Amino acid sequence: MKLVHKVKVKNSLGLHTRPAAAIVKLLQPKKSTVFFTYKDETINARSIMSILMLAAKKNSLITITVEGDDAQPTMDHLIKAFDEEFGEKK
Amino acid sequence: MSRAEEVILRGLPISKGIGIGCPIFFSNWEEDVPVVQIPEIEIDREIDRYRKALHSSREDLERLRKISLRDGSPEITQILGTHLEMMQDPMLTTAIEDRIRGSSRNTESVFFHLIEEYKIRFSTLTDIYFQERVRDIIDVSRRILNHLCPLQRLKMSEIPNNSVILTHELVPSETVEANASLVSAFVTAAGGLTSHAAIIARAKGIPYVANVDIKAFKRLDLHSLIVDGSQGLVIVNPSRKTLKKYQAIKRGHQESYKMLKSSMHLKGETVDGYEVRIFANLENPKEVDSVLKNGALGIGLFRSEYLFLSRKEFPSEEEQFQIYKKMARTLRGRPLVVRIFDIGGEKKVDLAPEHKDARYFAQIGHEINPALGCRAIRFLLRYPELLETQLRAIIRASAFGEIHILIPMVSDLSELRQVRAIVNKLCAEFKAANVKFANTIPIGCMIEVPSSAIMCDALAQEADFLSIGTNDLVQYVLAADRSNPHTVDLYFSTHPSILRLIRMVVASANCARKPVILCGECAADPTLIPLLLGLGIREFSVAARHIPLVKHTIRKWRILEACRLAEGALEHTAAQELKQYLAEETVR
Repeated sequence: MKLVHKVKVKNSLGLHTRPAAAIVKLLQPKKSTVFFTYKDETINARSIMSILMLAAKKNSLITITVEGDDAQPTMDHLIKAFDEEFGEKK
Repeated sequence: MSRAEEVILRGLPISKGIGIGCPIFFSNWEEDVPVVQIPEIEIDREIDRYRKALHSSREDLERLRKISLRDGSPEITQILGTHLEMMQDPMLTTAIEDRIRGSSRNTESVFFHLIEEYKIRFSTLTDIYFQERVRDIIDVSRRILNHLCPLQRLKMSEIPNNSVILTHELVPSETVEANASLVSAFVTAAGGLTSHAAIIARAKGIPYVANVDIKAFKRLDLHSLIVDGSQGLVIVNPSRKTLKKYQAIKRGHQESYKMLKSSMHLKGETVDGYEVRIFANLENPKEVDSVLKNGALGIGLFRSEYLFLSRKEFPSEEEQFQIYKKMARTLRGRPLVVRIFDIGGEKKVDLAPEHKDARYFAQIGHEINPALGCRAIRFLLRYPELLETQLRAIIRASAFGEIHILIPMVSDLSELRQVRAIVNKLCAEFKAANVKFANTIPIGCMIEVPSSAIMCDALAQEADFLSIGTNDLVQYVLAADRSNPHTVDLYFSTHPSILRLIRMVVASANCARKPVILCGECAADPTLIPLLLGLGIREFSVAARHIPLVKHTIRKWRILEACRLAEGALEHTAAQELKQYLAEETVR
């Protein structure tokens, strides 16, 4: 199964090191392949350094592509994490 | 892998010739990441070396995190956790391994490349916070780099064959170690036409181009390089066609040099039979033999400071004595002019504070204007123990050949008098102790500071010979820094003022019946030799490899023509006009 969804980066500092680490950690138990696309660039979401490379600031729109058996729960999980600003919400 | 594209970079031509070879990044201390090609069979070992470093780095972080969990702040614990995550990042594991395999380069340079990519990427962002994000990556990379077995720092004398050295700046002590049969060319970011490193590169015949953006190379996929030191071009990854063209030019150079060399044992004399004496400049005492093979009448300028610069400590009296004695013996009665230590200014080395000789430099400290600072004879008179040690060694060696003492950077008669007084005192001591030395040890002055050129009549009376050092004289007279790219255009070896000064010095020397020798780099320029002859110079000292060319040039001129050329030249009052005149009149 392949899912595509757009999310907004809501936390004030954008996708910096800590959110990137949180995403990678979140994906560790999942089996699907996950890609982020931002400004014509698609990267492997399991790499902190690649996520950092996107340099996505607050309010950037990221396209998430998930493919695999656990695509649905993985996508739900990711959307929730973006929505909750990776625990940075005050 | 597809063939990389040919890229041409333009720089400042410093030392002529064509160099073709493989790039070697010669790191400066501020940026200690050597780039080394790894042979195919050792790639697995290199990757293993990387995995071990990664493993040790993880252990480090875990240990730190445990400590932090116990009594550190939660932020630090979290950062350490993130760093641990990063070390499992595919970008730092499989991607780096693939890069090592793909580029056949050592891990350090692959890392450096990666960090540079990140830096470029983030520096284009205006948001400072985003720029800061690269710091974590650098942090993690540093940790891993520290765990990679530190590669031995490359030595200039031990680099592989056919290397093109890429570095930020060349320092004289390193350049002097370079072996022309191993080093194909130099390419640097900084450095001027007449810096000491440039002089040595030319003397060794190593092509050199400066003012090239070295950092740009690190982003390119480098395979091979052509350095055209005559045009100031660096051609990265040349096509077959370009390579063939340059190989042909290089062969042409080698053949014409061979042809010149065949005439090197002929006398240096003009068509009408005036003898011109050609001596050699020398930095490395071991090269005396090869200097004689090039047809030199002796050593006109031994830059003794390289004894210090190359070993990074002052040699003892006994060490110096053995060196000078051996040189004098090899020369068999031909003159050896020892210029006493010209140290200070740009000629110094970074010594650790605990080094026994560090105090000499620490006392002087950082000079805002080293070219006008405490260097050469000023330095030696400040530390008489260094001066006396060297003079004692020279006087003792004088028993084995014809040795002259040359004082660098004389700016006042008193400096000559002080050196002579010390020499006389030491000779008296040696005589009393029954130590052998020569009956006469001539003492000469370098004329390289405007005050000494202006006062040359007085100096000529008291000195035993004069030696015009045009490299420094030009820079001081024109107030143009010889290694500053922005003042290079002002630096004319043939400025009308220089011509007048040379004429003055020659006249004073002739009047006092003292020999005068010219030992600047312009003595090896075929367009300037006839002019210098015309101004009355009859003794030249040049780098050994230029001797065939100098002789060849002299043998094409008549002294009368040269005098007429010089008279005509003295009529020109603007540097550019004079240059034009010389270019037109010296074509042969």
